[in-house]
Amino acid sequence: MMRARRLVVGNTLAGLASLAVIAIALLPVLWGLSTSLKPADQILAFPPKWLPDPPTLTSYVQVWEQSNLPIYFRNSVIVTIAALVVALIVAVHCAYAMARFRFAGRNLVMLALLATSMIPGIAILVPLYDLSVHAKLYDTFAGLVIVYAAWNVPILVWLLRGFFESVPIELEEAARIDGCSRLRAFYKIVLPMSQPGLLAAAIMVIMFVWNDFLIAFALTISENRRLLSVGLYTYISNYGVEWGQLTAATMIALVPVVAVFFLLQRRLVEGLMAGALKG
Amino acid sequence: MSLAVTAAESPPVAPVRTRRRSWLPLAFIAPATALVIAVSIYPVLDAIALSLHATRYAQKLQFVGLDNYVALLSDHTVWDDALSAVIYTVGSLALVIPYALGIALLLNRPMRFRGAVRTLAILPWVFSQTVTALLWGWLLNPEFGPITYASQQLTGAPAALLASPTGAMAALVGVNVWSSYPMAALLFLAALQTIPSDLYEAMRMDGAGKIALFRYITVPMITPTLTVILIQLTLLYFNMVTLIYVLTGGGPVGSTQTLALRVLKMSFENWDLGKGAALGLVLTFVNLTLSLFYVRALRAPQR
Repeated sequence: MMRARRLVVGNTLAGLASLAVIAIALLPVLWGLSTSLKPADQILAFPPKWLPDPPTLTSYVQVWEQSNLPIYFRNSVIVTIAALVVALIVAVHCAYAMARFRFAGRNLVMLALLATSMIPGIAILVPLYDLSVHAKLYDTFAGLVIVYAAWNVPILVWLLRGFFESVPIELEEAARIDGCSRLRAFYKIVLPMSQPGLLAAAIMVIMFVWNDFLIAFALTISENRRLLSVGLYTYISNYGVEWGQLTAATMIALVPVVAVFFLLQRRLVEGLMAGALKG
Repeated sequence: MSLAVTAAESPPVAPVRTRRRSWLPLAFIAPATALVIAVSIYPVLDAIALSLHATRYAQKLQFVGLDNYVALLSDHTVWDDALSAVIYTVGSLALVIPYALGIALLLNRPMRFRGAVRTLAILPWVFSQTVTALLWGWLLNPEFGPITYASQQLTGAPAALLASPTGAMAALVGVNVWSSYPMAALLFLAALQTIPSDLYEAMRMDGAGKIALFRYITVPMITPTLTVILIQLTLLYFNMVTLIYVLTGGGPVGSTQTLALRVLKMSFENWDLGKGAALGLVLTFVNLTLSLFYVRALRAPQR
C-alpha cells in the first residue's frame, strides 16, 4: 500500500519534471515560431503576446521574396552536399585502409589524425584565411568545401574504421576467390554492410557544415557566397532588426536539421555520440 | 606505444596481407593525408610563423621572436579575458552536470512516452550556436523579451539581463547550458543503462535506501563517463566563440569576452594577425594540456 502510493507520487513527480525539461527545451523555438507568425503590430507588443492573433505568413513571404535568404539557403545546401560527398569519399577509403591493410606506421597515422582533431578551430582560422587568399580560394565554395571536408575526415576515419572492422573478412575473401578485385569487394560487400556507419558519418558532416559559423565567417565575404548562419548573424548586426523576419528566417534555417533529427533520430544520436566520444 | 604492441603481435599476419606490394593502401590514404596536412597541420605551422613576426594585415613583416607573446602576457585585458573564460567554463560545468544527470536519471525510469520525452528533451542538440544565440537573444531582449517582462513582474524593477555585466554572464552561461546539456545527458543515460539491475536488487535486499543506492552504485559506475563529459565540455566551453559572439558580442564592456572570442576579434576585427595567431596557439597549448589530462584520467581506472 505504502509502496504503491510512493510509486504513484514518484511517477507524478517524474512526469512533472519531464514536462518542465521539455518546456525549457522548446521555449526558445516556440517563442521564435510565434513571433515569426505574428502580424507586424504584435511583434513588439509589451507586455509580450504569447500567440499570434491571427497567425500570418507575411514575415515568411517578406524574408523569402525581399531578402537574400534564398541565396544563403541555396549556398548552404550546395556547400553541405559537396562537403559531404568529398568528406565521405576521402574518409571511406582511408578508413578501409586503416581497417584492412597492415603497413608500417598505421597506428601512428591514426594517432596523428586524432591529434589534429584536437586543434581548436579558432586557433587556425587566421592561417586558413591566409592560405585561402594565397590559394585563390577565398570567397569560393571550393575553399569552404575543402576546409569542411578536411576538418571532418579524421573523426569520420575513426568512426568508419570501427564499422569496417566489424564486417567479417571471410565475406571479402570469398568474393575475391570468386574473382572479385579487392576494390570491387570493398565497394560491393563492405560498404553496403556498413550502411549504419555511413549514415551516422553523413549526419555528422551535414550537422557540422549546416551549423558552422566560424569557417564561413572567416572564408567568405560576398553576398553570393554567404552561408545561412553568417547570413542570420549579419541580419541581427544590421541596425534595426525586423524580429518578425529574423525569426522567420531562423525557422526556415531550422527546417533541414529538425527534419533530419526527427527522421533519423537513432542514427543521429549514434553519430553525434561517436563524435563526442572520439572528438 | 600501441605501434610497438601491434608490431610485436602481428608479424605472422603482416606479410600475408601485403605480400604483393600494392599501390592500393597508398592511394586510399593519400587524399585524407593530403587534406589533413593542408588544412590542419600546415595552418598550425603557419600560425607559429605568424606569431613570431610583426604583421600588417596578412603580411609578415620582420621577425620579432616572442614579442607578440610577451605583449599578450603583459596586457591585463588578456588576463581579464582569461578570467572570463574560466568563469564561463566553470559556471557552465557546475550547472550542466547536475541538469544533465537529472535528465538522464529521469529518462532511465520506466515511464509512458519515454521515447517522446527523450526526443524532445535532447532537441536543443541540433540547434547551431548561431540559432541558439538568436532565439535566446530574442527571449532575453531588454525591451520586448518575455523573460525581461517576467522578471519585471517578479522583481518590480526593470531587469534587462544582457545590459549588466554580471547579468550578461549569467544569461550566457544559462544559454550555454541549454545548448550543451543534451550530449551530456545522453552519455550519462548510456552509462546508467549499463549498470546491471541485480546490483541494485542485491543492495536493496540488504535494506539500503535510495540515497545509498545512488551513492554506492550509481555514482561509482558513472564516474568514468563523468570524466569524459567533464573534459569534453571543458574543451567545448573554453574554445567556444560563436554563441558568445552572436549573443553578447563579448559585452557589455567586455564582461563576457573570453580568450577564444578575443582571438577572433584580434584577428578579424583588429586585423592584428600576429597577436591573434599567438593567442590562438596559447589556446591550443591549453587544449593539449587538458587533452593529456583527459587521456590519463581515462586510462587510470583501467589499470
